[in-house]
Amino acid sequence: MIEQYTITTTPKYNFPQKPIETALPQRLLELSIHSLRHIQNQQIQLTPQAVAQNGKIDAQLQVPSLNLKPTIIQIKPKTQETLVAAIDTSSIKIGETKTGILIAIRGATIWKQNKRYRYIRLGPFIFHITEENKTEVYNALQRAYLGQQSIQNHQYTPNMTQMPTRLATLLERWLQLATAKTMTNSLILLDGSLTAGTPDTPANVMREILENARKTGNAVLAFSKMTTMRLNGNLITEALPNFAPPFLLELSGLRAKPPLISFGNIYVARLSNGNCAFRLDIDRELPSQEKVEAVEKLVGNDLLVQGYPETLRLAHILCTFTANEVIAMQHFITRRYGLKIINRPDMHKLLFGPFGKGEANT
Amino acid sequence: MKLYKKEGNIVQILSFPNETAEKSDYLLIEDADAGKALIAQVIDVQFASIPGVLEELLRSLPDGGEIMQGEDFDPLEIAPHITYIQDASLLICKIRATIENGENLSPTSAWLPSRSQSTIKKLSIPKLLKLARINGELPIVLGGTKDASLLTIDASSLDGRLNIITGKKETGKSHLSKLLISSLVGYKATVVVFDLNGEYLSLGMTADGKKNVLYDKIHILTPAQNFKVALKQLNLHVLLEILIHALHLPGTSAREFRRIWQSLKERNMLTLHDLGEAIRNWHCNQHVRDALFSRYYALVNSGFFTDNVAEATLLEECLFRAKEQGGAIIINLRNTSPIDRQIVVEYLLGKLVELLTSWKLKAVFLFAEEAHLYLRETYWDDIVTRMRHFGIFTTFITNQPDTIRENIYRQADNIFLFNFTNEHDLEVVSRAARVDAETVKSIARDLPPHHCLVLGKVVKDFPIVVKVRALDVKTMGETRLFFKDLN
Repeated sequence: MIEQYTITTTPKYNFPQKPIETALPQRLLELSIHSLRHIQNQQIQLTPQAVAQNGKIDAQLQVPSLNLKPTIIQIKPKTQETLVAAIDTSSIKIGETKTGILIAIRGATIWKQNKRYRYIRLGPFIFHITEENKTEVYNALQRAYLGQQSIQNHQYTPNMTQMPTRLATLLERWLQLATAKTMTNSLILLDGSLTAGTPDTPANVMREILENARKTGNAVLAFSKMTTMRLNGNLITEALPNFAPPFLLELSGLRAKPPLISFGNIYVARLSNGNCAFRLDIDRELPSQEKVEAVEKLVGNDLLVQGYPETLRLAHILCTFTANEVIAMQHFITRRYGLKIINRPDMHKLLFGPFGKGEANT
Repeated sequence: MKLYKKEGNIVQILSFPNETAEKSDYLLIEDADAGKALIAQVIDVQFASIPGVLEELLRSLPDGGEIMQGEDFDPLEIAPHITYIQDASLLICKIRATIENGENLSPTSAWLPSRSQSTIKKLSIPKLLKLARINGELPIVLGGTKDASLLTIDASSLDGRLNIITGKKETGKSHLSKLLISSLVGYKATVVVFDLNGEYLSLGMTADGKKNVLYDKIHILTPAQNFKVALKQLNLHVLLEILIHALHLPGTSAREFRRIWQSLKERNMLTLHDLGEAIRNWHCNQHVRDALFSRYYALVNSGFFTDNVAEATLLEECLFRAKEQGGAIIINLRNTSPIDRQIVVEYLLGKLVELLTSWKLKAVFLFAEEAHLYLRETYWDDIVTRMRHFGIFTTFITNQPDTIRENIYRQADNIFLFNFTNEHDLEVVSRAARVDAETVKSIARDLPPHHCLVLGKVVKDFPIVVKVRALDVKTMGETRLFFKDLN
């Protein structure tokens, strides 16, 4: 069972105040340091920095193209002051050793309160992942977060290349749960969808997040920047009716294929002028009117640039690793653990000269 | 520090926050395997181009331009490493020389030190001075350098040289001139100063008004007062120079004047009165007569000319005394009109050439403040070419560098450069042959008051910034202020 944030009551909101609860961060830190201890004085090959950090796509939800007739819901912005929070995490591979990979993860929670944005940022946590320790690291973190029962099925242990995103997802789910438990009457924005039943998002975890959110009067809204869902043959975010924003397009009747479970009702949201529309999942258990009201409060309380909530955009920006930070982390591990940076030849460039684009881009 | 790039004689060095290097510092880039080292001077300090810095800065200010409030839980303490990387700087350095075998200096930058193996460290000024052998038997202590050592130049490096002291107002140009003059006089040199504002009149007095060691060697000559000249002492050639260049006498009239002068000289009647009478009675065109009369009255009214030879001996006396024991002849031009100033200067330069040609004087150090106010156009070239061979070694002092002609900068041996912020001024000075434009523009712009960038032979072409030392000399030539006594 995960402990909650230490909280203090404010006249309007209940929101995490420092010191924040550190059960998972503490475990993350322990495992991070433990994994790094084994790399003293090894050689490190730096990884090109052009690595996707927190791109999420709703690829898990395999929905056949159906000929549905969506319903248009007009949104009337509600300016009634409502706290808007958003959570995002990112991961990056910062190098390779003889035995494994060096990765970093970081998470951020942003909230808009009294017209000011504030944040809590956790990390970066750096891990040295090897074939030998990947199961131990992943399971230990799952245990810290999900409890003993969740690690019975060993088929969920990811492979090396999946480890960065899996660890980041663990951190993200923990942040989401902590936010859902500590906020009241607020809007919680997630990056991605409310589809669960995948190895990194078990259904019980998503259920717990949403249940806790509802208990304290919160509405959970999940925005997908990219979607593969198609309606009448077109991407759902591209086949939009000629209607003045803000509006929602409700896609009723969609069902996910087992074992996937969709915990949300799926909409296409076009919340401001411009061409951008997003897949929006809203907690299925909320009454219909509250779902629409949640979007109306979002439009009335948060800034929307290209139809995307600023709070969520800031969460993404704050957790993303810049090139400068990657260099700093490489500097940290070389200094602290005496790693020697080596430059292995890029075989593509070596073999194909100017026609070799480099491993990172292949 | 790490060697990053070399282009021509510019090297770029990556420096981290714990390695402090500033503009004008010297660095030694040593390649042990090659047995050589580069001496490079920092001419600019820039932020290193670190990838991701822009994103880092942008995301710290998304909240309406204010810093976003928040908490960072950074258990591995990566933040100091981020700052360390972000604050890395790029030192733009100019290669000044190569050292081979630890002591042989050559001004080459033709080799490439190892980027990975070279060690880079700061080169202290005393060590640089020792390597460059900037010392000598006649030391002049200019002042202190940044690393608290003294910069001592050799007085003989000013000998036979053309020097320029320039900088904007109130940066310490005259102070440095006084220091150089005092030091030269201390070494028994003969110095002539064209003192436009009466700043050098108290060179023989201490700050509290007492006589100093130079008191007996400082000779102040004020035109029309204790500095006069008798027509009989004058060479026709010098007087014609005055008439033509200072008083703009046309050629036809000058020819008539030559005849009048020769006629008077044959009759031993070279007095002001007889000259006036001769012009009045001379058979010539009325316009010529008028032209000659107007110049005659200009000469008379200057008060600089006399018929009494006894009144007109002080200049030679002073010069000969200075020749024996060293001394400075200060020509006080403070209350002299522009025309009279030119008359005096024309006379003095002619006289100096005459004495030097006849070897009555050995050599003279001439200090000329704001020379454009009294030096005629053709004298500039004369001073840097012909007069140098006679033994007149000039130091120009100005706060308007564009008043000195470009060819003077090109031939200047030493430049003492004080602060300039104006791009145009820096552009002019950067034309000097003994220094590169980047050094002048970059370092001079940031010089604090009383700090001087010394360029040229005195520092063996290693530009060095020095804080000019204080001098116990009574300050003169202060600006008269309206509000000074009101408080």
